[in-house]
Amino acid sequence: MKALVKNILALGLFIGLFSCEETITIDTSSTDNKVVIEGLVTNVQGQSYVKLSRNRNFYDAGSTARITDAEVSVTTSSGEQIVFVHNPDGDADKEGYYYPNANFAGSIGSSYTLNVEVEGVSYTATDELLPVTTIDSLAVRVDPDQLAEPEEPGRYYAVFMYAKEPQDRVDYYLFKFYRNGELVLDWPTDVYVFDDETLGESIDDVEIAEYYKEGDQVKVEMYSLSRQGFIFYSDLATLLNNDGGMFSPPPANPRNNLSNGALGFFQVSAMNDYERTVTPDED
Amino acid sequence: MRKLLLLIGLLCLVGIAQAQEKFTINGYIRDASNGEELIGVTVYVKETQSGVISNSYGFYSLTLPKGTYHIEYSFIGLETQEKLIELDKDISMNVELTEIATELSEVVVTGEREDEQVVRIQMSKNELDIAQVKKLPALFGEPDIIKTIQMMPGVISAGEGTSSFFVRGGSADQNLILIDEAPVYDPSHLFGLFSVFNADVIKDSELYKGGIPARFGGRLSSILDIRTKDGNNKEFGGEAGIGLLASSLMLEGPIKKEESSFIVSARRSYVDLFLKAANQDNLVYFYDVNAKVNWRANNKNRFFIAAYMGRDDFSFGDDFGFDWGNKTATFRWNHLFNDKLFSNTSLIASRFDYGLGSTSESDGFDWSSNLTEYSFKQDQSYFFSPNLSMDFGYHVTYRQFSPGIIEPEEGSIFKRTELQKEYALDHALYAGFEQQVTDRLSFQYGARLSVFQSMGEQMVYEYADVSNNIEPIRIDSTYYDSFENIKTYVNLEPRFAARYILNESTSLKASYNRMVQNTHLISSGTVPLPFNTWAPSSVYLRPQMADQFAVGYFKNLENNKYELSAEAYYKDIQNVTDFADNARIFFNKDLVTEYRQGSSEAYGVELMVQKKKGDLTGFVSYTWSKATRLVPEVNQGREFYANHDRRNSLNVVATYDYNDKWSFGGNFTYGTGRPITLPAGSYEYGDGYIPDIITERNGFRLRDFHRMDLSATLTPRKNVGKKYETSWVFSLYNAYSRKNPFSVYTRVQMDDDDNIIGDGTQKEARLIYLFPVLPSITYNISF
Repeated sequence: MKALVKNILALGLFIGLFSCEETITIDTSSTDNKVVIEGLVTNVQGQSYVKLSRNRNFYDAGSTARITDAEVSVTTSSGEQIVFVHNPDGDADKEGYYYPNANFAGSIGSSYTLNVEVEGVSYTATDELLPVTTIDSLAVRVDPDQLAEPEEPGRYYAVFMYAKEPQDRVDYYLFKFYRNGELVLDWPTDVYVFDDETLGESIDDVEIAEYYKEGDQVKVEMYSLSRQGFIFYSDLATLLNNDGGMFSPPPANPRNNLSNGALGFFQVSAMNDYERTVTPDED
Repeated sequence: MRKLLLLIGLLCLVGIAQAQEKFTINGYIRDASNGEELIGVTVYVKETQSGVISNSYGFYSLTLPKGTYHIEYSFIGLETQEKLIELDKDISMNVELTEIATELSEVVVTGEREDEQVVRIQMSKNELDIAQVKKLPALFGEPDIIKTIQMMPGVISAGEGTSSFFVRGGSADQNLILIDEAPVYDPSHLFGLFSVFNADVIKDSELYKGGIPARFGGRLSSILDIRTKDGNNKEFGGEAGIGLLASSLMLEGPIKKEESSFIVSARRSYVDLFLKAANQDNLVYFYDVNAKVNWRANNKNRFFIAAYMGRDDFSFGDDFGFDWGNKTATFRWNHLFNDKLFSNTSLIASRFDYGLGSTSESDGFDWSSNLTEYSFKQDQSYFFSPNLSMDFGYHVTYRQFSPGIIEPEEGSIFKRTELQKEYALDHALYAGFEQQVTDRLSFQYGARLSVFQSMGEQMVYEYADVSNNIEPIRIDSTYYDSFENIKTYVNLEPRFAARYILNESTSLKASYNRMVQNTHLISSGTVPLPFNTWAPSSVYLRPQMADQFAVGYFKNLENNKYELSAEAYYKDIQNVTDFADNARIFFNKDLVTEYRQGSSEAYGVELMVQKKKGDLTGFVSYTWSKATRLVPEVNQGREFYANHDRRNSLNVVATYDYNDKWSFGGNFTYGTGRPITLPAGSYEYGDGYIPDIITERNGFRLRDFHRMDLSATLTPRKNVGKKYETSWVFSLYNAYSRKNPFSVYTRVQMDDDDNIIGDGTQKEARLIYLFPVLPSITYNISF
């Protein structure tokens, strides 16, 4: 996986040999306040949420404005309606987050429809909960380059993933990697999204993001995506890694499943994870 | 069918009876120093005040009533020759022109025909003087004709460091780039830092931007016709150049004196050696090889075999790399059926391929893609009289497109995957006439009938909604066997040009051409990557079609010392191939759902002043142009500026021969910034991602681009008796170190070591610029 990302980076690398960069101030236009919806329903209890916020101007920083007074619910394909409540615990950093009751979990094979009403405007999206394969194991090995020059002392273990890719159905995957509970990315704009079109059955020895030191807890989360979800995350990756339209296509908003021009995505996924402590493997 | 009849009708037009007893004089015109055939020599008959121009093979033919004539052969830089001919039978006369004896004195050898730009019917054409290109400052000291082409009026570049060029509002893939008649699909080395054309072997190159003759077709916007040298058939010689980035060697000589000759040239970069020295495990190199042999069996039969091969190879660490390259081969047979009928038969092969691979243990793969084509071309020229000649012919090309195969390495997570191949046959039947109606008025007219067939073997899928690229649903499929016709497109391409001479130094010209393109580049960026694939017209991809109107005013001043031209054009493109926003163009089996064809409109004005004679030569060109596109579903269906739209472009190219030791060269280029898509804001999504909001495609512009390059060439005084000549070329690229914008992208604010500053919510815009001031030295030796 790391190699795949590296491959893509390498394409731009040659120009990089000769290029220089500097920060400039651009004259950006502004747009109206749009509703941004980040919704997730999974088959794991306590994981589902909907976050509502608004966009901001390009040069603004800090947290974006949150929408705290919306009506949010998810309807299952069997017609059951689950109401999502705004920040039930009153957590200061959970402003704008809406949660269902604690034991809600999606079930594989069902569809879920999100209904969000903000200031009289309703936004909807539907996505399907597709199965996901399991992660069989994670292996740990010393990375010789990192051993020679670790970014942090001791952080020179690479982690490799093993799984089986079901060949009898079409799958799309989204991965997230954690080091001691903290999400890690090789590069801030990496999105680990894949289709299975070119994948064989054995997913063996695929290196995950970042490096680890002995004693670190490493966790991999694997989410199933619908075709729509795959398209959204691929588009997101293209946009985040765009070079300004020289070799890349002109930047464009990711295609999503939300109505009424809302930004973001409503994602419904099955999730599997695998966690272990980083210790040198014996081999 | 009606179109076919029309064409036959055109062919019959030429059956104009001629009463008077007439004879023909014909032959080849060569450079006396090396036997190279000369293209574009003016052959002028003083008595009739008419003339012809030697064709691409150096051949001319004139048919005149019985009589005595003074015939003048003139070519820039060579001594004009005049022959007194008693024409009472058909005569074959080969002419050798010699170099002007004194290089430095102000040259006055002109026949009147040095006013070729005024007199010829063809407009919207630029020639490149390769000798001048070599004296001009060049990036890393590598002379590059594409970089000079980018400075021609009506031609726009995407920025520096690219080999793409955009002609009169057309995109980069709308240029047909030919080397010895074989198409080159990707003209770039090192992602466009250099072009694949080695200046040592180029004899002649011409760029047709409008009024394109009927013998050319297949692309909408321009034809870049590059011919390589045939090789000196009198004596053995060569050239070698040692530059900062690459070295080259060219050898040429007779195989049998005056009858057959060869030329072979090779060039290789050695960036990889520097990188190795710098202990980098990322390696990069390119090479190219040109070879040609030619044989004059007799005055009626000539044969050529030319080949080109070039490749770029990149490797990163030990486990990842990619490469790409072109291979072309041309076999040509020039045959003189009789005094008036000249024929050229060509067999051409061209292949472009790229590969991308990793040998790493878990995700090793080898991804390759190629496009292979074979052409047969039969072209005839028939010279009725000095007032009327005709070109006609038939071209057929078979193309095979292999968009991609992934072969996994042993133990890899990948499985073998192949995208369907596509096959196409492209026929063209054309006839073009050049007719002098009065002393002042001449026409060029003709038509090209393009018959395109998409063929099996292929499985063609039917989609529930072919523009649904989110969830493409295939509802049906039809299997087509090998060579079975899937879809045929027939298009007639009329061509017309007129020239009216106002006075001996001034003319007006007008032209119209329709061009059809059936081979499309699958690229959504501004500049194509070598990893872009090509696709033929098909059930889902209609032929692109361009109609172009142009008018021009041409004037020569001070006895043809200065050539002035002003042209205006309007081009309308239908079915311009574009792609949906966020199109997935790499390895997509439902690629057809990403096609979006729309229309494009381009217009502009081009001014050029050129000085071809004297110590100071060069040109100044200015272009005002505009190019827009309207493509369904792209930019929410609103019109947008084409990626290569630049309002103003000014170029100055000059060389100055100071004395016989020193000559100097300079370029200056200025252009309005290219359009760019910038955000209207941003938002938070997921785990710390801050995507931009895009509201309008190409709604902003990069800042203006300007740059000056300088060069000096030192040719140490020749030692008497020495058999070789050396020269040093000193170049200064971007002399005042302007930070010219290449692109702008946005990211989360980071410091110089790419560490995120603050909480990672502040975004910033980054300007990428390429080259600061870059000095270079090249050492050349010719023998």
